[in-house]
Amino acid sequence: MSDNIFDVRNVTLRFGGVVSLNDVSLEMHRGEILAVIGPNGAGKTSLFNSLTGVYQPQEGTIIFTARDGKEMSIIGRKAHRVASAGVARTFQASRMFSALTAFENVKIGAESHRGLGAVGAMVRGPQTRRGEKASDALTIELLDFVGLRDEANTISASLSYGDRRRLEIARGLATNPQVLLLDEPAAGTNPSEKLELTELIRKVRDVRGVSILLIEHDMKLVMALAERLYVLNFGSVIAQGTPDEIRANDAVIEAYLGSTASAEEK
Amino acid sequence: MGAFGHYLASHFTTLQKEFWYLFVGGVANGFLYGMVAVGYTLVYGVLRLINFAHSEIFMSGGFAGYFLMKAFVGSTPPSGLSSIGLIGLGVVGGGLVGALVATALERVAYRPLRRRNAPKLAYLISAIGASYFMFNMAGKEFGRYSVSVPQPYINHAVFHVFGAPVLMYDIIIFIAGLIMLISLDRVVQKTKLGRSVRAVAQDAETASLMGVNIDRTIAMTFVIGGALGGAAGFLFGLGTGVVYTMGFTPALKAFTAAVLGGIGNLRGAMIGGLLLGIAESLSVVFVQAAYIDVIAFGILVAVLLFRPTGILGERLGRAA
Amino acid sequence: MRAWFRRPVVRRFWMILAALAALEVMTGPPGSTEAPTEGVKGSFLQSSSFFGLFNTVRWVVFLFLAVVVWGLVTLWLTYRTAIRGGLNRTLAAPRAAVRNRGVRRGLVLALLVVALILPHVVTDPFWQAAMVEQIAVYVLLAMGLNVVVGFAGLLDLGFVAFYAIGAYATAWATGALPLPPLFGVHLDPFWAIPIAIIIAMLAGVILGAPTLRLRGDYLAIVTLGFGEIIQIFANNLYGITGGSQGSGTIPHPTLHIGPLHYAWGLTPVPYYYLTIVFVIIFYVAFSLLEHSRVGRAWTAIREDEVAAESVGINPLKYKVMAFAIGASTAGFAGVVTASQSNAIFPSSFTLFFSINILVLVIFGGMGSIAGVVLGAIIIQTAAMYLLHSPPSGYQSADLYIYLGALLILMMIFRPVGVLPSRRRRREIGLAEAGEGHMDEVLTGDNP
Repeated sequence: MSDNIFDVRNVTLRFGGVVSLNDVSLEMHRGEILAVIGPNGAGKTSLFNSLTGVYQPQEGTIIFTARDGKEMSIIGRKAHRVASAGVARTFQASRMFSALTAFENVKIGAESHRGLGAVGAMVRGPQTRRGEKASDALTIELLDFVGLRDEANTISASLSYGDRRRLEIARGLATNPQVLLLDEPAAGTNPSEKLELTELIRKVRDVRGVSILLIEHDMKLVMALAERLYVLNFGSVIAQGTPDEIRANDAVIEAYLGSTASAEEK
Repeated sequence: MGAFGHYLASHFTTLQKEFWYLFVGGVANGFLYGMVAVGYTLVYGVLRLINFAHSEIFMSGGFAGYFLMKAFVGSTPPSGLSSIGLIGLGVVGGGLVGALVATALERVAYRPLRRRNAPKLAYLISAIGASYFMFNMAGKEFGRYSVSVPQPYINHAVFHVFGAPVLMYDIIIFIAGLIMLISLDRVVQKTKLGRSVRAVAQDAETASLMGVNIDRTIAMTFVIGGALGGAAGFLFGLGTGVVYTMGFTPALKAFTAAVLGGIGNLRGAMIGGLLLGIAESLSVVFVQAAYIDVIAFGILVAVLLFRPTGILGERLGRAA
Repeated sequence: MRAWFRRPVVRRFWMILAALAALEVMTGPPGSTEAPTEGVKGSFLQSSSFFGLFNTVRWVVFLFLAVVVWGLVTLWLTYRTAIRGGLNRTLAAPRAAVRNRGVRRGLVLALLVVALILPHVVTDPFWQAAMVEQIAVYVLLAMGLNVVVGFAGLLDLGFVAFYAIGAYATAWATGALPLPPLFGVHLDPFWAIPIAIIIAMLAGVILGAPTLRLRGDYLAIVTLGFGEIIQIFANNLYGITGGSQGSGTIPHPTLHIGPLHYAWGLTPVPYYYLTIVFVIIFYVAFSLLEHSRVGRAWTAIREDEVAAESVGINPLKYKVMAFAIGASTAGFAGVVTASQSNAIFPSSFTLFFSINILVLVIFGGMGSIAGVVLGAIIIQTAAMYLLHSPPSGYQSADLYIYLGALLILMMIFRPVGVLPSRRRRREIGLAEAGEGHMDEVLTGDNP
């Protein structure tokens, strides 16, 4: 039996008459770093949104298998349910809770899986206080992990672009995920930040045991990081394989020929 | 079950008997709702927000019409050409005042916020404040009691549809409503102003890059919506009388109509108005008159929950 | 070269003149449909004693005021940085002191002491009644609406509905409605408190669960409609609510716990203390709530609902919770009002009421508990003062004009309120700078 964390079978997603994903199938193994690449508008972010319950594809199945072997169908489930089940993500243009500090941002992730507890919060009973302590500890640990310990009390809107990316990763990790989806984590960062980010992403997988699925334009980063790749073009998977196989694939070269310039601009 | 079946059966008999009578009244109301609804839809199209103060534009048109009629209608009800002239005067007067009030509203309650790029919540609150300010001001200046408008025509049955009388009042609303809604549709489809409005509705940033003057277009949108709302206020006042709080309920229903047709969609607003007017009128058979407003509210909630894009879909740019 | 009358300095004068002309009409005499111009005419032409100095007409006073205001504004704009710097320097010490927790607690405690001895200082029966019915109860209501508008960022324009439900629940539980109470037992209003709170909370959940999925602006209009619907039902369901006559037989509450016996009567002061106790309880509870997991979840949803969902927060659940908490606060306020006045009428539960509470929250500073308490005290005291000793030409309904104008002014000049919450101030600042995703939550627009 293969240990797949995601099993995507024949997924088609349409908006009105526009087909955004066309019969996409994809397997992601537990513990791997998988990348999805493709030219602009190939459907990468649509795929992400389908995997996280934000979009509801009309056809196909998406099965998420948790560590304990429990299977869950993503399609038809709300985004917050998918997140609670262990699928964390970041956004293309990072989406922080901008008016909150870095610490608060991560803490919101850390405590989201607890129950409602409005009454507990209003009387501040011992259980609530214990929960607060545990979340604080996890938050500090994660800020340390992504290297933002010193920025804990900075308002997230005033963090640098690279730091926001790290903060988003920390926030995602705080939800105790099994897989982390990164939407163009390197976009807008400078070369040295890019290098650090590559390190961080690898560390997330190696140290915290979280599988990584990433979308990225930066070929250098993808080829250095990913163990396997899927190539999307016009909403369809046109190739898959190891970085070396992809580099040699004619269809991929073809797809990228017209858009090499735009891909490199990014 | 038997009792309920009997209840339904007896009401359907009433419905059969009264259908055309109620239908005519519903269509007349529907035109009024449609005329107000386009105001919501136009502003929504360009600003992406609900103009909570639209009810007071409606009210101001009602009062303008009232004072005009009071000044020009003599002691004997006029007829013939003078009737037509007076009604035209009321529609134009109500429309002008509505447009003026809408312009002032945009200047005072919206533009300063737009300059500052304020969050939408601020617009909503500011508009609610403006609405509250305006109708209470009208209450102070014109008294807080309802008055009936001097009638510029004799309200007799002009002809019958399947035995149901069609009153002069209904005919006035049909004609005035049709003229205004059709010309609005033409303006938005064919003129340069209409193109600007549609361009801003689709993508304000690009439109301004293409040389559309956003401020002017938004101001003109308020003027057009205000004129129709004010004219509708006059027509409504003719039938129901005017009072400072007269805007609230019709505006809530017009908003329902706009959502029903797909907010941001002009033709949708017109169709939504007609549908709501007829549905509401026919429901008189099944519920007590006091609960009519509850029916409209139920429709609003149902549409918002189950088909928030309305019948014809959203977006002024695309579908209008 | 721009024409002189379009220069900023001159344009400012026109704007101030227009604003003061509006103020002049707002404070002027009323008109009527028979004499629609009387009000405006009188506003400008009536004689005025110019603050008791000499006799003149109103327009002279206002022109003079316009010039003064214009001068002040121009001075402020010219020396803005200097004045601000000076202010910051002088206020630095007190500001730092206020940030100190101990000092802040001391301040709150001092305020509390003032609140507790106030009924013994103010013995005028008008003010004693006003302190309960119009100030303490409104503080409570503002705190409740603040949870909905301030914490969860949901614009609720039908808050009156829950207040009405609380009042009617009291009447029902005490056997004062045509609808017989549960098991035929006529409860004491004191024991109606939990019942009213639960019923109001349930109403909040029932209205909220389906409608809180809606975009913020749609929600505002649905709640607006709901407030009206409740009034229609109260007015027409004769067999249940007593129709437009309402109910006039609600008893005063009594308390018998062990050796403790107390009976509230006709005098307002005991109700004042009862309300103050609950104000304190709600104040503490809501402060804890704000800084808890729940409060942070609300902030997250308010700022970026999509991101909040991506970390596993269920927005609907938290919104319904805010709605239910706000509703139960209003429900409690309904108990106090109903049992104190013995009577309820559907005509007192109107849109005016909902907007009034909204003004308190906006003026004080949405999201800031201390702010809305202060805002409620200031505005309600001012309103009561106007009612108690009205200036010439003032009608009690004119208050609504002022409240409407206040809402617009606050949104233009100080959307964060007089005593803003730090989070909210940052949020609005960021939204104006084009950061964050606040609007998306409100209007469902994707960028």
